[in-house]
Amino acid sequence: MSDRRLGEMSPLTKIVVYGLLIGWSLIVLFPLYWVLITSVKLPGQVGDGPDYLPFIDFTPSLHAWRYIFVDLGSDTFRPYLNSVIIAGASTVLAMAVGACAAYALARLHFRPRLLSIGLFLVCLGLGVWMIGSGLVGWPIAAASGVAIFVISVLALSRVRSPRLGNSDILFWVISQRILPPVVAALPIYIMFQQIGILDTHLAIILTYTTVNMPIVVWLMYDFFAAIPIDIEESAELDGASRFRIFREMVLPLAKPGLAATSLLVLILSWNEYLLALFLSTARAQTIPLLVAAQNATRGPQWWYMSVLIVIMIVPVVLLTILLQRLIAKGLLLGAVKG
Amino acid sequence: MRFIARTALTALAATTLGLGSQAQAQDKPHDGVTVNLMTFTGPQIAEPLQRRGKEFGEATGATINVITVPFSDLYQKVLTDWLTGTDSLDAAVFAPQWSVDYVVPGLLEDLSDRVAADDALQADDIAEFFREFSQKVDGSTYMITVDGDFHMVYYRTDVAEELGLEGPTTWDDYLAFAEAANGMDMNGDGEADYGSCIAKKRNAQSYWMITSIASAWLQSQGTSQGAFFDTADMTPLTDNAGFAAALEVYKRTGDYAPSDEINLDVGDTRNLFTQGRCALTLDWGDIGTLAIDPENSQVIDKVGAVVLPGSTEVLDRESGELVACDDTTCPHHVNGVNHAPFAAFGGWSGGVSAAADDAVKDAAYAFFSYVSQPEQSNADVTVGATGFNPYRTSQFDSLDSWIEGGMSERAAENYLGAIQDSLNSPNMVLDLRIPQNQRYQQIVLDTAIARYLAGELDTEQTMAAITEGWQEITEELGRQEQLTAYTSTIGAD
Amino acid sequence: MASERLDGFFDRNAGRLFILPAVLLILTFSLFPLIISAWLSVSRFKLGRDGFTLSYIGELNFKKLFTGSQQFHFLGTFSSIPFTGWLILIVTALLIGLGIRQWMRSGRLTVLGGIGRLIAFGTIAALAWVFASTMQDGRLGSLSTTLFYVVAGVSLQFVIGTGLAFLCAQDIRGRSFFRLVFFIPLMVTPVGIAYTFRMLADMSLGPFSPLWKAAGFGDFSWAADPWTARLVIVIGDSWQWIPFIFIIMLAAFESQPRDEIEAAELDGAGPWRVFRDITWPSVAPVAATVVLIRIIEAFKIVDLPNVLTNGGPGIATESLTLHAFIEWRALNLGGSAAVAYTLLFVSTIVCVAFFQLVVRPMRQARGQTG
Repeated sequence: MSDRRLGEMSPLTKIVVYGLLIGWSLIVLFPLYWVLITSVKLPGQVGDGPDYLPFIDFTPSLHAWRYIFVDLGSDTFRPYLNSVIIAGASTVLAMAVGACAAYALARLHFRPRLLSIGLFLVCLGLGVWMIGSGLVGWPIAAASGVAIFVISVLALSRVRSPRLGNSDILFWVISQRILPPVVAALPIYIMFQQIGILDTHLAIILTYTTVNMPIVVWLMYDFFAAIPIDIEESAELDGASRFRIFREMVLPLAKPGLAATSLLVLILSWNEYLLALFLSTARAQTIPLLVAAQNATRGPQWWYMSVLIVIMIVPVVLLTILLQRLIAKGLLLGAVKG
Repeated sequence: MRFIARTALTALAATTLGLGSQAQAQDKPHDGVTVNLMTFTGPQIAEPLQRRGKEFGEATGATINVITVPFSDLYQKVLTDWLTGTDSLDAAVFAPQWSVDYVVPGLLEDLSDRVAADDALQADDIAEFFREFSQKVDGSTYMITVDGDFHMVYYRTDVAEELGLEGPTTWDDYLAFAEAANGMDMNGDGEADYGSCIAKKRNAQSYWMITSIASAWLQSQGTSQGAFFDTADMTPLTDNAGFAAALEVYKRTGDYAPSDEINLDVGDTRNLFTQGRCALTLDWGDIGTLAIDPENSQVIDKVGAVVLPGSTEVLDRESGELVACDDTTCPHHVNGVNHAPFAAFGGWSGGVSAAADDAVKDAAYAFFSYVSQPEQSNADVTVGATGFNPYRTSQFDSLDSWIEGGMSERAAENYLGAIQDSLNSPNMVLDLRIPQNQRYQQIVLDTAIARYLAGELDTEQTMAAITEGWQEITEELGRQEQLTAYTSTIGAD
Repeated sequence: MASERLDGFFDRNAGRLFILPAVLLILTFSLFPLIISAWLSVSRFKLGRDGFTLSYIGELNFKKLFTGSQQFHFLGTFSSIPFTGWLILIVTALLIGLGIRQWMRSGRLTVLGGIGRLIAFGTIAALAWVFASTMQDGRLGSLSTTLFYVVAGVSLQFVIGTGLAFLCAQDIRGRSFFRLVFFIPLMVTPVGIAYTFRMLADMSLGPFSPLWKAAGFGDFSWAADPWTARLVIVIGDSWQWIPFIFIIMLAAFESQPRDEIEAAELDGAGPWRVFRDITWPSVAPVAATVVLIRIIEAFKIVDLPNVLTNGGPGIATESLTLHAFIEWRALNLGGSAAVAYTLLFVSTIVCVAFFQLVVRPMRQARGQTG
């Protein structure tokens, strides 16, 4: 689809436009090219100055590839598998939870009372204080906190209080993204340690789901809001339940948006470093950790690092190509409306 | 008939298996035990541990699982794991410098009895410094040394010859050498090279370098005098004429160095040196073995090593002034020069978690002993890629294993001679080993030095920044506790 | 019968059930840790005989950051305000003035809105003042450095990203190719990008070293000067995030109402008129949203400064997250939490202010609610 406004560009403009675009493509591709050829360079070749063209400036060698795949073998495979499992599972979960929440916010009306929220915060603080002062174990503290909350809400259910609306809830969910991981990392570590799931896939999957879900809500909210409501209304009149409407009518229409958002969330999970570092020790290590760890006391092992970066990018690129068409349509319809 | 045959065969098989497993149990004392061991990402240190781990496993039936994390995260990962009771790690190979933080809360297993009963370890062969200071806290052994760490100065023997100079004995010599060599083409590629390359990158492993220089002025009466704090009241020794002199030397080395020296860590400087681009460098023992790597080194047989340069003046702690070095002020002087070889970092050592199962503890200890035993250790220390540097007297006895490793006789003598001079020095400097020393060194000292090198602070301000920062931490953690820890660690009480 | 009752129950409470998982996740993994972190920031961590102790010390950690021994690290070293600093202060004052005028004009003056704006404008003014007074000689603290990354980085990324999107939206061939290629940097893990740029920026081993030497920069080290070091980090960050802005802005440009444009052109409107009356209104809300997302993410920058310069030279490139991370590595948990909380506070104020003052009005102008 062309923008007819500049449909007839003068040849000069065409050259400038293409020139700039190709120029930027070079800026994008050159670092990746450099990474690729570094992965086939010997340490000596890296150490004595830049060599640009394989076979012409230097003889490429597969030693780094061999080291990563053969020598390290399972030490490379395990983090790779971990990354695949964690990124995949957390993306699916984040999409599921986020899409449901986004749909609810787009179609239904919530009006939580400020009072209830206040009560909730008080009970939460109470629970934390109980745990912190060491009086009771965390299960008891959690249970009593919940109990106090439920009782006080029921008791004060007649009390009038200002109410918040959908947009406030939406903003609250999205604002979770502002939270720097470093603030929450240690408490989450301790929480997981108490439950005993540290250094497992589950721990990191849950954390990533929480961290990425706000983005899903943000993007999918606009997608869902853009779908004409009459389709759903007529289905409702026919007696279909919310769940059925959501599952059978809305989701298929939002496929492009789902594809685009999934890809973004997958990329974020695949590449995440800080939280994975905090929460994993041995079993649940992911590939970004392996990349960072190549910075040994002997200096950054550029060649090994380059191999790892390449094998990290390739699957994502393939996935993007596969989903390209869907995504193009999706972005066209969706977040744009926002 | 068939039934009898089958039963007989089954019985025979069972007996054989039974006999076999009994034999196995006898040969494989740690059968079925898994030890989760953490260290930092290699190949240094991690590779030999993995290799020896496989051997050990085959011999004893144990499984040694080596887990690696980036160096800067090792301290807190192991500590957090053990402090919070997660205990997914059974053992770790880390810095004895950190051992106080682990010993005080009772996280490390006391290995004294095991060591005493272990003949194969040949503990007496371990150099006294490592055996008595590095491995022990408060008289009990908590760690097993597998690597000897201290700083030395390396220089290009060919460049020295050309300039008519020798390996530097004082820091003034070092600067003079660097100045003379700076700008020469030392590797035949037509480009000017550098007089000195020292790793000065922040948040890396650079904050030991300044102590290597400063100790020459600060410590002269032996290891128990200490080089970081005054042993009477825990005043930092960072605001005096000696430290000031050291700072100026440290800064001046940058005049003869690559322009991005402030962003070079040890990996970069080692690369530069082995590519022939530096005349001098200050580093751990790795350069000796890296320099003879035929694949990557351009300076094979052109490298000399000397004990850390010293100073002809030392600090008089009473007056805060510098005094000349004589028999009273520096009893350990060598030709009027006070040398204080600095055991930076302490040397990678293995420690066992106190919370592990007994079987796991036994296996972990046995593994560390295996790695440290002369048969394994003496071979590993000759290979640069292992990251293991010499720490046993038997490793200096014969040059054969070194020559087999690729050193020329002259280079081996020179390298080992320098190490031995350092090891045998009664004035060796023990690295700071008080609770939360990371905050003192990695945060306050490292930041102040980085700012000094970047030109943000001058000498006076840098000294003030370090001193104030250290005093603040000492106050926070309790001056008396820190003082007790400090004096007991250097044996000053 | 029972299943019908169950279905009925689900249907009535569909809303709550839809949103419950999200709320639960946030409460457990965001809110709860937030409170614990708050507690950490007012305590001191010490290793002792029986493990560790956390003792309450009140606001001491924060005091240390703002007025105590860590002030140079957090806020910077104060000195006189240079010319550029005054410029920044003037621009900030103008923006605040605009914000106040917009509020007065809106006719909806509430107490809550007033307090909110007071906090927001006050914080922004304070941040600008801190930045301007510590600019001299580049002795910024981690707070100002982070602000620099956010403002300079997002501006650069927005300009280039939108420019590329605009070009790509023209009548050109190979749009899918460009779209894919431009998207790739986003796929690389930030740690990988950091190391890649470290390789590229190396003055002697990197691919550009012949260029540097030819231009006479052979001896210059970007890592030794605070401003060039920060610039390199901004470049690395931009390389990674421009694709994000590009993709979204491209979709925005492609989805302009074509019929309106054709109608306007038929009426003889020039390209500038079309842009002002049709393109900008449809694109502006998206632009505002995407800038907000970028700002939110930019405050959290850590991988690039950590790998490229380890926070150096001195402390010049240390972002707030890196500052907190370094403290945490040495087990100064209280100090680390204090820095992290300040980051959260500043980040929230700036993001909420941006949302209320820029994003919302643009959406409302477009006819969207909320």
